[in-house]
Amino acid sequence: MVDSIEKAVISHIQGDLSVQPRPFARMAQAVGITEEEFISRVRRLKEKGIIRRFGATLRHQEAGFSANAMVAWEIPEHEIDKTGRILSEHKSVSHCYYRAPQRDWPYSLYTMIHGSSRDECHRIAAQLSRAIDITEYALLFSEKEFKKTSMEYF
Amino acid sequence: MDETDKKILNEIQSDFPISPRPYLDVGKRLGLSEQAVIEAVRRLKQRGIIRRIGGNFHSHRLNHVSTLCAAKVPEEKIEQFVEVVNGYAGVTHNYLRNNAYNIWFTFIAKDMDTIGEALGEIAVKTGIQDILNLPAKKMFKIKVDFEV
Repeated sequence: MVDSIEKAVISHIQGDLSVQPRPFARMAQAVGITEEEFISRVRRLKEKGIIRRFGATLRHQEAGFSANAMVAWEIPEHEIDKTGRILSEHKSVSHCYYRAPQRDWPYSLYTMIHGSSRDECHRIAAQLSRAIDITEYALLFSEKEFKKTSMEYF
Repeated sequence: MDETDKKILNEIQSDFPISPRPYLDVGKRLGLSEQAVIEAVRRLKQRGIIRRIGGNFHSHRLNHVSTLCAAKVPEEKIEQFVEVVNGYAGVTHNYLRNNAYNIWFTFIAKDMDTIGEALGEIAVKTGIQDILNLPAKKMFKIKVDFEV
């Protein structure tokens, strides 16, 4: 799937690039390849779809999105595909996943929504609820962040 | 944040140049010098607006699996529970949320058995039995850019 050089490249770009004119040169040196090869390896990982996105990750709150919420929807199983597509079309929805309901947790579609305030998130959720004709949902705000890191694969 | 900061942020979230002089290339697109871009990015990082710059991976294409977990934890046990959960390197996000299922964390590992075992261990160590393992069965949307 990935060779040993790719693993070494990934181990460098899974963290945080230093902000300097030639960020890839130093990492290439650490891996023991040329800057040119390092860059072409990163490009290939992106072309192969192993890298989903390469760039800056923002802290949404500091970037002006003062509220975001996860909304978990209780959707009958045969409606999942149709409803998932409708929810995904909305601009305020950044993520939409289906997860099977479990035990005392009946929800199955999960959306992340972003607004300028909690009130706006409530309004967006109500609007989505009307669009899919589903009234059973849980609006989950993050009250506190205990951990947010990126995975170290290698 | 001024307009230049916003332009830079909109440019480097998913179109960060994979090139020898990425900040020079961003500058060319926006009509700014390399130095001006570097200084702006440094400032945005210092202010905490940029969390990091790097690669984000499809974990399953690196032979990993990921899941979302939720646990019902009484308030007096939250601190200990979070400490145990965050001790796992595969736990990358962990939040307190306003629900009876109040602790929500993501878990990435080589396979689902590893995660299942870890959740078993967590239950034993903390005495918390109500832990849901909610792997995604289908992804409908994942948006990567946030226009600022």
